[in-house]
Amino acid sequence: MSRFFTTGSDSESESSLSGEELVTKPVGGNYGKQALLLSEDEEDTKRVVRSAKDKRFEELTNLIRTIRNAMKIRDVTKCLEEFELLGKAYGKAKSIVDKEGVPRFYIRILADLEDYLNELWEDKEGKKKMNKNNAKALSTLRQKIRKYNRDFESHITNYKQNPEQSADEDAEKNEEDSEGSSDEDEDEDGISAAAFLKKKSEAPSGDSRKFLKKLEDEDEDSEDSEDDEDWDTGSTSSDSDSEEEEGKQAAPASRFLKKAPTTEEDKKAAEKKREDKAKKKHDRKSKRLDEEEEDNEGGEWERVRGGMPLVKEKPKMFAKGTEITHAVVIKKLNEILQARGKKGTDRAAQIELLQLLVQIASENNLGEGVTVKIKFNIIASLYDYNPNLATYMKPEMWQKCLDCINELMDILFANPNIFVGENILEESENLHNVDQPLRIRGCILTLVERMDEEFTKIMQNTDPHSQEYVEHLKDEAQVCAIIERVQRYLEEKGTTEEICRVYLRRILHTYYKFDYKAHQRQLTPPEGSSKSEQDQAENEGEDSAVLMERLCKYIYAKDRTDRIRTCAILCHIYHHALHSRWYQARDLMLMSHLQDNIQHADPPVQILYNRTMVQLGICAFRQGLTKDAHNALLDIQSSGRAKELLGQGLLLRSLQERNQEQEKVERRRQVPFHLHINLELLECVYLVSAMLLEIPYMAAHESDARRRMISKQFHHQLRVGERQPLLGPPESMREHVVAASKAMKMGDWKTCHSFIINEKMNGKVWDLFPEADKVRTMLVRKIQEESLRTYLFTYSSVYDSISMETLSDMFELDLPTVHSIISKMIINEELMASLDQPTQTVVMHRTEPTAQQNLALQLAEKLGSLVENNERVFDHKQGTYGGYFRDQKDGYRKNEGYMRRGGYRQQQSQTAY
Amino acid sequence: MASRKEGTGSAATSSSSTTDTTGKGKGGSGDSAVKQVQIDGLVVLKIIKHYQEEGQGTEVVQGVLLGLVVEDRLEITNCFPFPHHTEDDADFDEVQYQMEMMRSLRHVNIDHLHVGWYQSTYYGSFITRALLDSQFSYQHAIEESVVLIYDPIKTAQGSLSLKAYRLTPKLMEVCKEKDFSPEALKKANITFEHMFEEVLIVIKNSHLINVLMWELEKKSAVADKHELLSLASSNHLGKNLQLLMDRVDEMSQDIIKYNTYMRNTSNMQRQSRGEPPLPEEDLSKLFKPPQPPARMDSLLIAGQINTYCRNIKEFTAQNLGKLFMAQALQEYNN
Repeated sequence: MSRFFTTGSDSESESSLSGEELVTKPVGGNYGKQALLLSEDEEDTKRVVRSAKDKRFEELTNLIRTIRNAMKIRDVTKCLEEFELLGKAYGKAKSIVDKEGVPRFYIRILADLEDYLNELWEDKEGKKKMNKNNAKALSTLRQKIRKYNRDFESHITNYKQNPEQSADEDAEKNEEDSEGSSDEDEDEDGISAAAFLKKKSEAPSGDSRKFLKKLEDEDEDSEDSEDDEDWDTGSTSSDSDSEEEEGKQAAPASRFLKKAPTTEEDKKAAEKKREDKAKKKHDRKSKRLDEEEEDNEGGEWERVRGGMPLVKEKPKMFAKGTEITHAVVIKKLNEILQARGKKGTDRAAQIELLQLLVQIASENNLGEGVTVKIKFNIIASLYDYNPNLATYMKPEMWQKCLDCINELMDILFANPNIFVGENILEESENLHNVDQPLRIRGCILTLVERMDEEFTKIMQNTDPHSQEYVEHLKDEAQVCAIIERVQRYLEEKGTTEEICRVYLRRILHTYYKFDYKAHQRQLTPPEGSSKSEQDQAENEGEDSAVLMERLCKYIYAKDRTDRIRTCAILCHIYHHALHSRWYQARDLMLMSHLQDNIQHADPPVQILYNRTMVQLGICAFRQGLTKDAHNALLDIQSSGRAKELLGQGLLLRSLQERNQEQEKVERRRQVPFHLHINLELLECVYLVSAMLLEIPYMAAHESDARRRMISKQFHHQLRVGERQPLLGPPESMREHVVAASKAMKMGDWKTCHSFIINEKMNGKVWDLFPEADKVRTMLVRKIQEESLRTYLFTYSSVYDSISMETLSDMFELDLPTVHSIISKMIINEELMASLDQPTQTVVMHRTEPTAQQNLALQLAEKLGSLVENNERVFDHKQGTYGGYFRDQKDGYRKNEGYMRRGGYRQQQSQTAY
Repeated sequence: MASRKEGTGSAATSSSSTTDTTGKGKGGSGDSAVKQVQIDGLVVLKIIKHYQEEGQGTEVVQGVLLGLVVEDRLEITNCFPFPHHTEDDADFDEVQYQMEMMRSLRHVNIDHLHVGWYQSTYYGSFITRALLDSQFSYQHAIEESVVLIYDPIKTAQGSLSLKAYRLTPKLMEVCKEKDFSPEALKKANITFEHMFEEVLIVIKNSHLINVLMWELEKKSAVADKHELLSLASSNHLGKNLQLLMDRVDEMSQDIIKYNTYMRNTSNMQRQSRGEPPLPEEDLSKLFKPPQPPARMDSLLIAGQINTYCRNIKEFTAQNLGKLFMAQALQEYNN
């Protein structure tokens, strides 16, 4: 029969193939649901039992189901295709059929299909509407089925007479299936099985309609089991030798490849439900593994079902009598691992299984090697638990993960003869030979790094203002401890590269923490005997500065990847800056030349760089180096995107501009809250530095037309302040700074001071510094000095001379300071004045040009540039027409500057001849 | 230079003869249709009044001049202002208004021939594209028409500043062609000096008016006469410098534009000759076909600069004179 079909079908089916694929896809879309409906699958698994007969029959039923689906959607082409496959499958099942008789469901589909086709054929209107492919397929199929059915005439008639037969019988057989939802499915199979056993000839036509309806009811069912269908079609194709058929089956086959594991996993998941059965599956699986080589999963699968009752009896990972050896455990492990990462795998179950396996291994004293190996995999599975990169670990998982790593570390420390490494091949692993050192594939460092990332992710995804966050943050100590342990372990055994990596992890957990102990120690120099025990204990921990120094230096020396070194440098600078070691931080920043090429780094490193720069700026500010502070913060602040640049939040504005994908990526880059730099502090530091620089500058260059802004941001704030229709007392930090700037413009340092340093500002900003009082004193002094400068710039034209003592009183600065400030101004030619030493007065010189003179100077300058431009035009003329262009160009260059006129003449003389 | 000084007191003595001899109008304007503009005192007063009523600051006032052409002399006998424009009467028909006005004037037997227009100016900044265009259209329609430029600020300082300008025939040609490319202007051989020609102005009053003036002069207080002698100069000078500077800036930009154009064209020539291009400042410009910049603007700017310079020169010269005088007086008093 199959031969008959192969000869008859190829041309049509192939021609219709292309159209077909599209139609079938939507059906395939349902596969996704598969994983959820575990019970169904299990039933399938269980139902087809015992023998090759069932296997074949299942193939057939699956095909039939596809056909019925196709019929429902009036997809004749599909019907034709599947029908051909059915014929082939039937041919394959021939031997069984010979033994058992023609299955009833087979007859039924034949009868239904014929009826259906006839109906379609009669429906002239419908036929017209049909597309060309379908119409063609219809006629072909109709002819074929007629011919084909001739062989089964007796069966069909028989069936038609007696369409509904002892469903109960079958139900009994499948009593194990308790789920009600599958009843219908059951029925169908039951009927068919029963019917085919009867092998009656003669059946009245017309009942088929009923079946169709019934099938509709079974909609859900059939969809659920489509998986199986594909499975079977797939195996069919793999069995068959004909190339053409394989091509036809390509799509389903590939689906099968994907799906096959899914079903396995589903099975597994179901297994988990019934805990007592949990282990039998592995038994099955191991069996299957053996069989897999036979390239016949389908068959094997059914046989597993057959083994069901047996399995029930022994709720163990391994067959009862099996001797637990290394080989067996490893094999089991591999089995479990094979499911890893596949769609539909129940990951929780997998973890459980692995843990069970560890237990078994330890129970049977298989040695640490195996335990370590399995532990590695447990941790890996824990990481895999979340398929999505964005989601984070559940707390219990996380705890489990930490514990597991700790245990693993315990073992590794306890057994120095275990070698762990990524580069150890699976084959060369030595898990049990105790005589030789144990060799295990796996990388503890990678696991720890991943753990660290998970930690970051957890922190990112927790609301920073909740208690939960604090709880999570407590784990940080644990994370650090683990990293430290790994570090110790790797220092003994790891390669330099690995050490660098783990050092970096350590650094990343250290750099942002302010070392209060060291700070305390610095403040209170050792007083010898009076040291309490507590102090002693405190001092035991390594000073974080020393630690950073040590780790970073190692990385600088040994690291070969640029990224680690860059990160280490940045962290080091950050740490220096955090602890107010400005000069070290600055020197390191300058020596590393990071500013030149940081824009080529990847975004996380750039974020780190930005954080470092900000910290550096704040550090400079604390030291009273306003200019440095301003320069360091300028880039970050001027963009207006400080939040984004520091990875401390996404801007709403650009939310529309990026798509979901980008947003996810950006979200992943966010720095956890406990690492955040206070943005208000940052802005305040920037604005105050800008104020201290800008206000005197503005006063000095009041009339200069070419005055440029030092800080746009600051000017912007000033303008915003000016635009206020009604100026109330300042509320926000910015308003405070603006108000202070206005006071400073007048040289009124007291008001300025009261605006910058008061209760509100203390609470908002200044108290956030570790040495708040020192910063405040510095700030007051700066304000006094800059106010004095501003005052002199603004009002120097009003004075003929001014006593330094008056100034000193006005600004509450001591005389030498005033003297030095004024001297500096005179030296820098900012102030046209001279000091009269005996009387301690500043004598002003009137050298400022008047408005007209200023204008004239500007005009002269402009004319200069005009002339220059004009000469360039002239150059062109000469070059184009005179042919002396190059010489003139040189001549022009030579005579640039004050000699321009001469140069000009020279050119003329050159062109003359 | 046909500006005619006329203080409140100094009056034209005879009605038929020119009192102004300081004018040194361009001798080369022989081929022009008009050699002299004779303005009625009435017209001058009307223009001044118009500005004082409606113009202020940088805002300019404009109006139509009426009169007759007698031989090579243009006699302007009357004028009327253009109404002040506001946003809401955009549909106001200017031409209609002019025709109406002229018809009405004819009814009262006043000269109704359109012979030009007048405009006030702010610190002498009148050489603009707008002026060029409208004067061109006037001169195109009525060959003899002139534009009178009235400088209220200078007038307020004590010397009436009223000047008559016409476009030179050369510029007329160029404007007719509407081709302001560098080549065309070069061919026309036109420079900023040859854009406008100034026409001699004569103010003519009737004898009766002259008599009245004499009378008035006797009655007027001494202080009124000496506005001229104000020593305050910085404001005016500063303004002039500022404006001059702005123009210089514009000129500079224009030159840079031209320079780029030159560079581009020469680059293209070089490319066609297979030579390496000159170092390009902005590569993107290379791919645009170079558009020859219109040179008329720079000509106008140059003309404007010239006017400013002349103004400043004149003003400073006068001021220096005044300062020396003041110094001498000081010494004399001491």
